[in-house]
Amino acid sequence: MGLIQREIEKAGIPTIGVSIVRKYSEKVKPPRTVYLRWPFGHPLGEPFNIAQQRVVLAEALAALRAIQTPGTIIDLPYRWRREKYKDEDFRLILSHASKQGL
Amino acid sequence: MMELSRFKNKIISKIITRYPSLAKRFIDAYDPWSSPDIPWTPVVKPLTNSRIAVVTTAGVHHRDQEPFDMKDRDGDPSFRAVDLRRPLASLMITHDYYDHADADRDLNVVFPVERLREFAREGFLGSVADMHYGFMGHITGRHIPTLIEKIAPEVASRLKQDNVDVVLLTPG
Repeated sequence: MGLIQREIEKAGIPTIGVSIVRKYSEKVKPPRTVYLRWPFGHPLGEPFNIAQQRVVLAEALAALRAIQTPGTIIDLPYRWRREKYKDEDFRLILSHASKQGL
Repeated sequence: MMELSRFKNKIISKIITRYPSLAKRFIDAYDPWSSPDIPWTPVVKPLTNSRIAVVTTAGVHHRDQEPFDMKDRDGDPSFRAVDLRRPLASLMITHDYYDHADADRDLNVVFPVERLREFAREGFLGSVADMHYGFMGHITGRHIPTLIEKIAPEVASRLKQDNVDVVLLTPG
């Protein structure tokens, strides 16, 4: 995934990757990454958990602007299946990001 | 620095193509991650005005497209263009290297296009592109130069032609 991400960024489009294998991201060095220590096949979380999927997306979008140093990996704090997500969580993440100029 | 590494990749992929018997030696010595430079394009447009596309390595493709090649041990470096103007039910996953039972039930777990559409409807994003791209993530060995030199740049140029401002990448 990171190899493709690097080529897209090289072509002039900003990219953000959601990673679930930190070691791979460290090696491949894509420009921007949010990392979750979650199982394979679940980068956005669990099926039909819309609030959770929105939180991950909001974090990824916020990271687009927050990351200023190429190759940065942001470790997201969410634990697998041990968090409760509320409908408004993603709004807080995005509104915080927009205050910072996103 | 970037040019030099691209040149090196091109040479290697040519040699491998011409002398298949040498391929293994080159693959063993080939380190696609040795490049010290990290590509960078600054984010200039606000998200509320940006067009987003997803590139996933979770093996997503339309049912009527050729599935990814699961027999090649080095994986399948080709891509499938995913057209969101078609129903989401026309999509499926071909990927033997992760358990996609949950993603089969809710594609958004690996390919979050319904969530992105909601963000766009609610004004957090400018728009969601019609065309997205599916890859099969398990790409190694001789397919890595092909991916880096040919296939990923082709997808990048399609995204550019489609005026995509931001790309989200998701794994399987």
